[in-house]
Amino acid sequence: MKKLLKPMKNKIPQIFFIFIFLSIQVYCDLTLPQYTAEIVNVGIQNTNFQFIIDIGIMMLLMVAISALATVAVSYFSSRVASGYAKDLRKIIYEKVLKFSNHELNHISRSSLITRSTNDVNQLQSVLGMIFMTLIFAPLLGIGSIIKVFELQTNLSWIILVNFIAVVLLLIIVIIKVLPYFKITQEIIDRINKTTREILIGIPVIKAFVRQDYEADKFQKVNQEFYDVNIYVFKTLLIMLPLMTLIMNLMVVLILYYGAYDALSGGLLTGDIIAFIQYSTQIVTSFLMIGAFMIILPRILVSGRRVSEVLNTEITITDGDLKEISSNSTIEFKNVSYRYPGSEKETLKDINFTLKPGKTTAIIGGTGSGKSTILNLIPRLQDPSSGEILIDGKNIKNFNLKTLRDKISFTPQKAILFQGDVKSNMKIGKSDASDEDIEKALELAQVDFVEDLAEEVTQGGSNFSGGQKQRLSIARAIIGTHDFYLFDDCFSALDMNTERRIKENLKNLKDSSILIVSQRISTIMDADEILVIDNGEIVDRGNHNKLIESCEIYREIVNIQIDSMEALS
Amino acid sequence: MSPRPLKRKPPEKPVDNRKAIKNILGLLKDHKIRLILTVICAVISTVFTIVAPLLIGEATTTIFNGINNIIHHTGSIDLDTLFHLLTIVVILYVISSIFSYLQSFLLVKVSTKISYDLRERMIDKILHLPMDKVEENKRGDILSRVTNDVDSLQNGITQSFIQLTTAVITLIGVFIMMLTINVWMTLATVILVPIAFLLIRAMTRYSQKYFLKQLVFKGSLNAQIEETFTGHDIIRAFNQEEISMEKFESDNENWFGHEWKSQFYSSLNGPLMNFISNFTYVVVAVMGAAFVLQRAIAVGDILAFFQYTQSFNRPIQQITRVMSQIQTAMAASERIFEFLEYEDEENPSEKSITEIKEGIEFENVSFGYVPNEKIIKNLSFNVEKGQKIAIIGETGAGKTTIVKLLMRFYDIDSGSIKIDGADIEEYDKNSIRSLIGMVLQDSWLFSDTISNNIRYGNLDAGDSEVIDAARQVYADNFIRQSSDGYASVLNEDTDNISHGQKQLLTIARTILSKKEILILDEATSSVDTRTEKLIQKAMDKLMEGKTSFIIAHRLSTIRNADRIIVIENGEIIEQGTHEELLALKGYYYNTLNAQLKENL
Repeated sequence: MKKLLKPMKNKIPQIFFIFIFLSIQVYCDLTLPQYTAEIVNVGIQNTNFQFIIDIGIMMLLMVAISALATVAVSYFSSRVASGYAKDLRKIIYEKVLKFSNHELNHISRSSLITRSTNDVNQLQSVLGMIFMTLIFAPLLGIGSIIKVFELQTNLSWIILVNFIAVVLLLIIVIIKVLPYFKITQEIIDRINKTTREILIGIPVIKAFVRQDYEADKFQKVNQEFYDVNIYVFKTLLIMLPLMTLIMNLMVVLILYYGAYDALSGGLLTGDIIAFIQYSTQIVTSFLMIGAFMIILPRILVSGRRVSEVLNTEITITDGDLKEISSNSTIEFKNVSYRYPGSEKETLKDINFTLKPGKTTAIIGGTGSGKSTILNLIPRLQDPSSGEILIDGKNIKNFNLKTLRDKISFTPQKAILFQGDVKSNMKIGKSDASDEDIEKALELAQVDFVEDLAEEVTQGGSNFSGGQKQRLSIARAIIGTHDFYLFDDCFSALDMNTERRIKENLKNLKDSSILIVSQRISTIMDADEILVIDNGEIVDRGNHNKLIESCEIYREIVNIQIDSMEALS
Repeated sequence: MSPRPLKRKPPEKPVDNRKAIKNILGLLKDHKIRLILTVICAVISTVFTIVAPLLIGEATTTIFNGINNIIHHTGSIDLDTLFHLLTIVVILYVISSIFSYLQSFLLVKVSTKISYDLRERMIDKILHLPMDKVEENKRGDILSRVTNDVDSLQNGITQSFIQLTTAVITLIGVFIMMLTINVWMTLATVILVPIAFLLIRAMTRYSQKYFLKQLVFKGSLNAQIEETFTGHDIIRAFNQEEISMEKFESDNENWFGHEWKSQFYSSLNGPLMNFISNFTYVVVAVMGAAFVLQRAIAVGDILAFFQYTQSFNRPIQQITRVMSQIQTAMAASERIFEFLEYEDEENPSEKSITEIKEGIEFENVSFGYVPNEKIIKNLSFNVEKGQKIAIIGETGAGKTTIVKLLMRFYDIDSGSIKIDGADIEEYDKNSIRSLIGMVLQDSWLFSDTISNNIRYGNLDAGDSEVIDAARQVYADNFIRQSSDGYASVLNEDTDNISHGQKQLLTIARTILSKKEILILDEATSSVDTRTEKLIQKAMDKLMEGKTSFIIAHRLSTIRNADRIIVIENGEIIEQGTHEELLALKGYYYNTLNAQLKENL
């Protein structure tokens, strides 16, 4: 949680102002009952009209100062809360940019998005409340207590009794209801889940004519939700009337015992009136803190979610070497990878070399670890053991930027960014001219873009899967790199387009190419094909050699001949 | 896939208030008695609360007079009267809180029941809507209607009803009580109310301007976060971190610049209300004192008046707050009712079909999801009972649509589909569906136990039948290997078993359902070789002796089919057996050849 407070640091002066202005507000507000007491005790008792007017003017002055102070408080707390959210977002964003795949998968991308948007908003909205409860309420409470003592009555015990009654009530309700909040949340989740399941399963539900069955299933969850809700509210709703009752009874007690005090000459009517008002303030301020305690767990949830992101340790460290020779090679030496917490190794003892001018291909079933190999090269994640060498030195020794500049990477899932075609291409080469871009588009068989200023919507959703793949290939080949990594990025293309793109890739002949695919046709003319099964290289060689020697390879070939994929 | 955060859409169109109110009132109608009771309780509770301060004022006056008497040595505080008054006050307060509790509890019962019923109705609606209304892109929207909108409607009803009734009663009651004390003081207090009201409204409007502005920046910042985190690999691999950070910072600063102002102006309501209530306090204190001097009111009345002005300001704050809640509730109710008013899937016939004797016939069938865009054009073919039909063609050719038409998920535009010579539109849709088993690539399972998932095919099946079905599709092995065997629970995204295993389970489910007609969509990819073989064998088992439609990708399936239909752009371009089609030397022959060459 400590990291959450960091963005608060440069806001301490502003928070100090909030404190000052709140103190002014509380001070002014609290003088009012005292003045009233004076009006009653002195003005009325002595029928002194001028005194009443004087006091009235003093009161108006206090009201005006208090009003200005509250505006100032609003100003500073808005700035602090919004600024806090802004800084927190920035810290999160900065941190997440440094994440490796491992950290990304640990928290999950969609959750990271929610954490940096919704959860931060949640924390921000809570911040205002914190100022009110943690600064204002204690100020109000303490101020009122001081005022009460100034009145010098024997009635303070009534406040204490009330205080205890309120605390007891709060505790009882919290104990009775709190566990049910969790249950309610679980049931809400179940309702959402059931609804979603039904929505997704509609074809199957209709096919099996299970409408009534599903309706019954939902009805059960719904009923449970209803029952819990009624129970929770039954208890929770007691709180407000009882609190009001306790407050009102306090007033009655003060009047009754105040009268006895007055009898013995210790107390005047105005004092009683003031006392009533101060004691109400004390209980109110306590209630504010109590209410805060109740919602505190909910705030903590968001806080915990955000600080989990901030506390995540970054596993990828940067190196200092900034020189990589051209025409370098990359060598995998006994590389293994194991997901943290997993018993099975995703990659086991991988050895191979990428050489300039050579095309290496990887083939294997889903989950065989192909993509992981590719991710290790630009250090999107690091191997758990073994070394990857470039120029004979471990890639960890190199500056990340230098290393990644040498590499062009095309992931399996084609991802484009909001903007236009041009801005997306410039990701591949920041100083690309229009000619460069057009050439790259042509090589990647992008024949559907008429204008480089054509809009790309968020995630590239205005392009089809095949179009996105072609654009992302264009982005990959626009710049000049020593290593080109293609991760199964031809899968949505038809055979003809793929063949033409592959033909064009021959332009990259001085560089090393690494292609991952499930399709035989994509990889069959590679210089070396690595057959991966269960994270291990089971065989290697060119197509003709593997057809002879490798059973798994033969099996894949046979299945693909037996499939009509060309049709689909 | 984990659920993406639901984006709350701002209401695109202004809410039709009259209709929304009518709908909400329609919901309340069934709970008339409870609601009337609620109002009665509210009246009793509020009236008692309102009367009490008057008595407290009287008690204070008694003390004041007593103190005066003591000072002037003319007597003492009348403790009997005081005790008497305070006892009545205590009784009033106790009764008031009891009724206040009753009132809110009754209301919660009503609103919970209403949302319970609404959810029930909406699920029922989902289950009976025509397919095109529940397509994938509409799921998120429907889900948010069932959850968020029902929730805000419930809150709206509870909150607005409780607060509005009490607020109104309190306002009227307090106003009367204040009048009984003093007309001028009442006027002075009351005159501030509309002023406060107007100020708050102006303020809200002013802050709204900033609110809308910051919303735009918020949207673009959130979009950027979403995009960066999804495309993280690219950002890193292409060294885009700094550029991304720069863009983020400028968006972040922009949002902040507008956001804090929006926050500030909207939070000014607080200071404003505080000022009004303080100001009223001073007015009451000074005017009250002046009137006491003139003997127009008693000292205790000032105290009573303090309490009244307090309970006068609160309802006004409540009403402004409730108004925005009511707006939300009305928008929610509009979305809910719009959904509930969708037409159910038509199913006019009750005639049921229980078996197939001769065969199925497609006769000049045409169909399009959107008018004028035919996906299926003039399609005709026959299937005899027990035959296997392979449907092949490129993605988007209309293969899946053909089988969906047979399932009557959609109604055809022209032509007819006949079973044993009778048009399937003459039958109850459910009876047609009961006849057909469907195994799709996109295998949908519940987050329930494995055995319950298989049993979905036949709810009456015993454990042994379930196990038998699993065994037939070679799923028994992996099921027994998983942690709890048949009782293993699939998680919400059903990703704790592999895609291939899921398909095996859906096949087992269909085997258990013992349907006469089968629709199968063969797996294309993303399943490992071994499982793929198992699925193949399981499908073959499933098809034994059944009339089957197979959307086929595999040469062996196609070769073994009794007939092959080649679809292109919604039309049959070739049909016949494997040998016939090869002899035709047309599309089928050419593609097959090209494919074989490509691979060898």
